[in-house]
Amino acid sequence: MNNTIIDYKNIYYPPGGILIWIIIFLELITFGAALIAMAYYGNQEQELFHDSSLKLNKTYGMINTIFLLTSGFLMAISVSEIKKGNTKKFNKLLLLTMLFGLFFLGLKSLEYYDKIADGIGIGYNTFFTFYWMLTLFHVIHVIVGLVILTSVYFGVRKENSKTSIDDVEASAAFWHMCDLIWILLFPIIYLLF
Amino acid sequence: MDITFPYNLFTFLDMKMNSNLTWVVLIILTIASALVSKLNSHYVVLIILVFSSLKFLGIAFQFMELKKAHLFWKAMIVSFLVIFVTSIALVI
Repeated sequence: MNNTIIDYKNIYYPPGGILIWIIIFLELITFGAALIAMAYYGNQEQELFHDSSLKLNKTYGMINTIFLLTSGFLMAISVSEIKKGNTKKFNKLLLLTMLFGLFFLGLKSLEYYDKIADGIGIGYNTFFTFYWMLTLFHVIHVIVGLVILTSVYFGVRKENSKTSIDDVEASAAFWHMCDLIWILLFPIIYLLF
Repeated sequence: MDITFPYNLFTFLDMKMNSNLTWVVLIILTIASALVSKLNSHYVVLIILVFSSLKFLGIAFQFMELKKAHLFWKAMIVSFLVIFVTSIALVI
């Protein structure tokens, strides 16, 4: 394991690296713009958005938020452990991080199953077009995040691992980005209308 | 590349305690947001947006360690949040 640590105060080296932060900002701007558009249409069709939002299971949304926040917390602790040189603990915590990510996907699948069973698809109305588009894009990010974390897990486990702290931090930053996006999605889709 | 090693046991312990506290606060804010959304008040939207902003900053600064980053990155994330929340509050 390469234990080189970068001076984060350098403008070109934020935690995780400048490239991942460019991606994070692009993603935040994209999801942010879509959510502002959703809020705009919500203002135009207030009754429809209110009635549609009542069809969502807020408990599922809240539990999923707790799953993602817990996963993000475990990720943060695991990064601390690997910086301390404790690879075994890092691997255990990383597995737990991924487990909570899988819990999120499991509950999201259940939510989608309920919606499809009720005949609420992407073309049901404007609210649900936004709901499906935004949450599905977020789910894709979570799946990509899990693939990246799996790759880091096996990379770090190898003897003579070439995985650096920087790689781990960049992967962690991507995973936390899924939290950040969800923290914006959850209140607007589930709570505000 | 500017290579230093600003890491020791004390910063690790501090980071772990901060992360624990951040996690507890984030969970409390999530539950509080869900409860507040059931209230009938003009301030519900504002309260939920404030809670979400605090959660966003908690994740960015504590979990993503942005608190250690250059001022530019801190200013960028705070600017994004201010623009986003203001836009939502104005539009909704």
